[in-house]
Amino acid sequence: MTTLAPPHLSPTRRRIEFIVVAIFAFLALVVFPLLNSAGVISHFTLNLWGKYLCYALLAISVDLLWGYTGLLSLGQALFFALGGYMHGMYLMRMIGDLGQHRKPIPDFLVFLGWTELPDFWKPFSNFPFALTMAFLLPGLIAYVFGFLAFRSRIKGVYFSILTQALTYGTSLMFFRNNLLMGGNNGFTDFKFLLGYDLLAPATQRGLFMATAATLLAVYVGCRWLSGTKFGLVQRAIRDGENRVLFSGYSTPQYKLFIFVVAAAIAAAGGVLYVPQVGIINPSEMTPDKSLEAVVWCAVGGRGTLVGPILGAISINALKSYATRAFPDLWLLILGGLFIVMVLFLPGGLVSIPARAKAMWLKIRPARPRLELPTTTPTASAAAER
Amino acid sequence: MKLTTLLRTGALALGTTLAAHAAETVKVGVLHSLSGTMAISETSLRDVLLFTFDEINAKGGVLGKKIEPVVVDGASNWPLFAEKAKQLLEQDQVAVTFGCWTSVSRKSVLPVYEKNNGLLFYPVQYEGEEESQNVAYTAEAVNQQATPAVDYLLAQGYKKFYLLGSDYVYPQTTNLVLLEYLLSKGVAIENIGGGFRKDGSGNIISAGKYTPFGHTDYQQIVAEIKQFAAGGGAAVISTLNGDTNVPFFKEYAASGLSAEVCPVVSFSISEDEFRGLPADKLVGQLGCWTYFQSINSPANKKFVADFKAWLAKSSVPGVVKENRVTCSPMVLSYVGVYLWKAAVEKAGSFDVDKVRAAWKSGVSFDGPAGKVATQKNMHLTKNVFIGETKADGQFKILKSFNNVYGEPWLKGKFKAKGAVATNE
Amino acid sequence: MIGRVPAFRAVVLVKPLPSVLGFLFSAWLACSAIAAGAARLTIAKAILTEDDTPKRALVAGLAGEGDEDVPALLAAWRSDQLFIHAAADGAKVPVQLIGPKDAAEAQEALRVDTGEPLRDASGKPLRLVAADLTAVEHDAALRRAMKSVLDVAEIAARDPAKRRQAIQAIGFAQNADKLPALEARLAIEREPKVRLALREALAVIRLKDSSDDAKLAALRELRELEALSSYDLIQAALKNAGAAGQKEIAAACRATLAAIDRHRSSVDFFGTLFRSASLGSILLIVALGLAITFGLMGVINMAHGEMIAVGAYTTYLTQSVFGGGVTIPCFGLSLAIPGMHLGGWVYQAYFLAAIPASFLAAALVGIGLERGIIRFLYRRPLESLLATWGVSLLLQQTFRLTFGANNVQVSSPAYLSGNWTVNDIILGWNRVFVIGFALLIVFGVWLVLTRTPLGLLIRAVMQNRTMAACMGVRTERVNMLTFGLGSGLAGLAGAFLSQIGNVGPSLGQSYIVDAFMTVVVGGVGNLMGTVISAFGIGGLDQVLQQYLPTWAPGLAGFPLIGSFLQNLAQDSSVFGKILVLALIVLFLQWRPAGLFVTRSRSLD
Repeated sequence: MTTLAPPHLSPTRRRIEFIVVAIFAFLALVVFPLLNSAGVISHFTLNLWGKYLCYALLAISVDLLWGYTGLLSLGQALFFALGGYMHGMYLMRMIGDLGQHRKPIPDFLVFLGWTELPDFWKPFSNFPFALTMAFLLPGLIAYVFGFLAFRSRIKGVYFSILTQALTYGTSLMFFRNNLLMGGNNGFTDFKFLLGYDLLAPATQRGLFMATAATLLAVYVGCRWLSGTKFGLVQRAIRDGENRVLFSGYSTPQYKLFIFVVAAAIAAAGGVLYVPQVGIINPSEMTPDKSLEAVVWCAVGGRGTLVGPILGAISINALKSYATRAFPDLWLLILGGLFIVMVLFLPGGLVSIPARAKAMWLKIRPARPRLELPTTTPTASAAAER
Repeated sequence: MKLTTLLRTGALALGTTLAAHAAETVKVGVLHSLSGTMAISETSLRDVLLFTFDEINAKGGVLGKKIEPVVVDGASNWPLFAEKAKQLLEQDQVAVTFGCWTSVSRKSVLPVYEKNNGLLFYPVQYEGEEESQNVAYTAEAVNQQATPAVDYLLAQGYKKFYLLGSDYVYPQTTNLVLLEYLLSKGVAIENIGGGFRKDGSGNIISAGKYTPFGHTDYQQIVAEIKQFAAGGGAAVISTLNGDTNVPFFKEYAASGLSAEVCPVVSFSISEDEFRGLPADKLVGQLGCWTYFQSINSPANKKFVADFKAWLAKSSVPGVVKENRVTCSPMVLSYVGVYLWKAAVEKAGSFDVDKVRAAWKSGVSFDGPAGKVATQKNMHLTKNVFIGETKADGQFKILKSFNNVYGEPWLKGKFKAKGAVATNE
Repeated sequence: MIGRVPAFRAVVLVKPLPSVLGFLFSAWLACSAIAAGAARLTIAKAILTEDDTPKRALVAGLAGEGDEDVPALLAAWRSDQLFIHAAADGAKVPVQLIGPKDAAEAQEALRVDTGEPLRDASGKPLRLVAADLTAVEHDAALRRAMKSVLDVAEIAARDPAKRRQAIQAIGFAQNADKLPALEARLAIEREPKVRLALREALAVIRLKDSSDDAKLAALRELRELEALSSYDLIQAALKNAGAAGQKEIAAACRATLAAIDRHRSSVDFFGTLFRSASLGSILLIVALGLAITFGLMGVINMAHGEMIAVGAYTTYLTQSVFGGGVTIPCFGLSLAIPGMHLGGWVYQAYFLAAIPASFLAAALVGIGLERGIIRFLYRRPLESLLATWGVSLLLQQTFRLTFGANNVQVSSPAYLSGNWTVNDIILGWNRVFVIGFALLIVFGVWLVLTRTPLGLLIRAVMQNRTMAACMGVRTERVNMLTFGLGSGLAGLAGAFLSQIGNVGPSLGQSYIVDAFMTVVVGGVGNLMGTVISAFGIGGLDQVLQQYLPTWAPGLAGFPLIGSFLQNLAQDSSVFGKILVLALIVLFLQWRPAGLFVTRSRSLD
């Protein structure tokens, strides 16, 4: 049902991709931080890009499910936010008694009348524990939910709507103050991370580099995965699940695995997001946020790994710019953009070069006719037919 | 190819840095949600701020410099608020910011202002329990809204109080303070409705009934209130957030409850929110603010007339010109700008530390609701008014309390009268 | 302190002996003859009194005045129809403005103190303009003083509901002086509900009596009446009795309280039933349109919520056109929409006109959406989700720019406000109306789908687009009409929601998740499934909201997360919703394709 660019790439394209990724890695890991410490790139800009890269991680997790496995999850923001929350709990503990109330427990607990830390908060003073939980909890939820959903063969639209319900229900729960997770305000006012002053430019620079490195690792990992036999089955599930099932593969297990992996990637994004943005609250896990992530992925080009990154960065950069330049109209621009993308550029931004090439082939003076059929049919061209 | 696209979109974000610094202007940030769920309330504040800047600029500006507003949209998105605050402080280097509505948006930007030593003017009633040196709280503290309202209700002879609110910090804190306050005034605990939650050792950690944002079904709660109020002498103290008030009051009226049977005093409904409410169903319900549009003073009449005149000729995109009203958060924004101006002029500088020192040394301004004066704790002393709603969407002022000191730290301040509260 | 005892209490009503009914009324009539004019003078004096306390005392002193002018004048006072006219000589004259307004907005003015028209120096009646005068002030305390006056007068009011309210107010005040008046009324009252209220009021007042026998009798009466409203007063009596060591009375109090508790739980039970039906019917009308666009057509329309908002805004515009017109800030252009300035029942009928209008408006927007976007995406359902989400953002911001970011005001017509109270169970008219209409719409849609040629075509196209096209069905047209129908139904939902909720740019967002849930649980492509799932989810939600807090202690025993659950359960309105979502996920384990499955042999 979906027609996407074939993922097996020609050697030339592989080489190009390697070069592009290497340049990107060099820029993000070396050039940007250096320019920042030299004062050429402001802390604000670096921080902003750090945030975009976290969103890129979220977008990749959506793409891994949607673009590669055909599962449109509208609950990825939940895993992103949960990762953030778990890390946030650690950061809250690190505030110590520097909060507004000057008490050794987080401010929101003081205002709820608590005088000592609730039990489930206690282990979160330990960074490794918090970090483990940041992956364990989203992974566990993904596992349980995925197990139930895939076992009863919930798929397609049903899966989307159920994941949406999952994230909606959890956000309602987190909005409540009595969950002791900060309620609507969530966690803010972080001060230290592993003993470093969180607001210091050097720490932020480190976080940016960590984000870039994680993104790179996730990219490389996913690229590797898509090349393995597992990746092949994954795409086969996307294109015809029943055939795969009848060929003797236990598709629920494959889907479950990829769902948990995607949740972990989203959680990694959340873990890195919270210290850079300085706040995590339940509005991060509302269905809207998941939809936004799906849109980044669609705009960039799903079924590719560069697409989601490109989409996340470009849409968020546009958002940063437009909320300042035309605050009243930016929603119109954003909404209009999605429609146009879906209707006219289903392959996303990454398909632009291929489309341009196809167009060029059409309009250039017809020479040897033999060459034409060998040009690769692109996703968009196929979809338009 | 991909890389260039990447860089181009990045440049888009960077492009905003290149704003010129003109010597004769001073940049002032406006940080409100102009889209998303909070746009309903916050766009009015943007409007009144732009009006105030124009008014001040027409009279020569501040320290001879014209105010140059930098308006950004927080889009009801709290991380975006933090981002925009950073942008205002680090890129635009604004002298001061006026903004935020929700507690969470304030909490979100607070670390940014503290880190960059910026100054934020916060104009909306809030829960207190905070006293940052980088925030000027022109907002109503709990003792400038909730406790005077309860005083009024007690004086009117009400004996039972049902606490109802949206589930976020402001209602939770306000209701806890009110619980302590009511008990200290001798109201028996069984006459306080809405339920309590206790921790393991039996201390009350939360009082009242809470509904999530955007809740639409108030049938069950109204039925409970109806039973609660069946014996008469009951009032509802509502900290419901703007949007949910409509289904609540429609349900309230449909079940036969009215202001005469059981009045509702709401802390989140001002004239501005009132525009979306069924006014005929709300006649006689109570409100408590530090400003009402119906205040009968020359200063207020001039303010309202000037604002409407400004609206009529405004060319700012997105400014709604029809059926506009003024309300307390708007006036507190307005007053905030003038207090900042006064502090800057007293300090002779735009430097945040100097302005803060001037604020703490005490400046005052005669605003539409009378005199407001700054306090050492970054809050304001101002007049408090109790009003009841009329069919035309305005409030009729019933009582006023003059020069109420803004006190952010109220929890644990009121002690119950003995262990067993008596029924007077 | 409602119904405070006035300082200068009514003398008239206390005098006549309660047993002699005729005497009461003749005395009343006689008194009114004497008092005629006196009451007016008192009111005029009260208006001109500056100080609050004596002013209230003067008003309260009117209680029991037989003068028929009293209720009318006090009502006028409360509704700001009394004004102070400064005469040429500087004297302040309270006047009442009555009659229709003329071209200059002026009305006839009556002097409050005499009831005669206000005349100028030459003796010509004056006409005054309300806007030029200061309305006579009144605060809440004063209004309550007025209310206690009116209550006594309203015991005899023509409207039974008013009588009842007045009687209850007197009862709560527990003032023995009012007993004779109530007893007199009980002797002649025919309306059963008012009789009940009278008996309750009498019993409640007697609870305060000094004699134990009277108290016991009163408690027996209250127990028989199962009077919810007297609960607090009985509790107070129990406390007093306990303090005074009156065991018998304390026991009677307890028995009465227990009886009322039983009654209360049955009221809660039936109330919950009604509320379930009402919430269910709201879910139903919200989901019905989706059951067609999503269930039948397979289009994931994320803009469904905005179609609802289109309907709600249409209702708002219809109301404005029937009323005084409105100016909307349409993209900064200030579009003035003229109104017809209708009044009375014609204006009230706006809602009846709004129902088809909102259907049509939303259907048109839907058809536009289908033609412009969705028709390209029938083979790509997940992408229709994205595109329609873009449409949803676009429409929301368009609403904001067209109607302003604020909610708009939609008032309920008279026939939709108010309620029936049956045995203490409140049945709001708007709710009853919604339930009725939801069923009607379902029936209508069922008729359209199964009994009309269009329905046949719709079903054919939805089952197999290609095959239908081969048979000569104009599938494009059918798609368009089906989507229009689904969107129109969403518009209808908007019209009803405007009666119970707010109308604003993000109206649709509050309902979209619920709507999808309802359709999914019901089973895609099945109308009956949607109906059952709507009422099922609505019922579950209300039952959980009502009974979760009472179950909370039981949840504490749950292993590991007991205290967590107990804590959650106390916030029933949220937790109920979360639990419903969780149960839906579990339910779909059992029936992955919803309640009703459309069986087919196709695999993909």
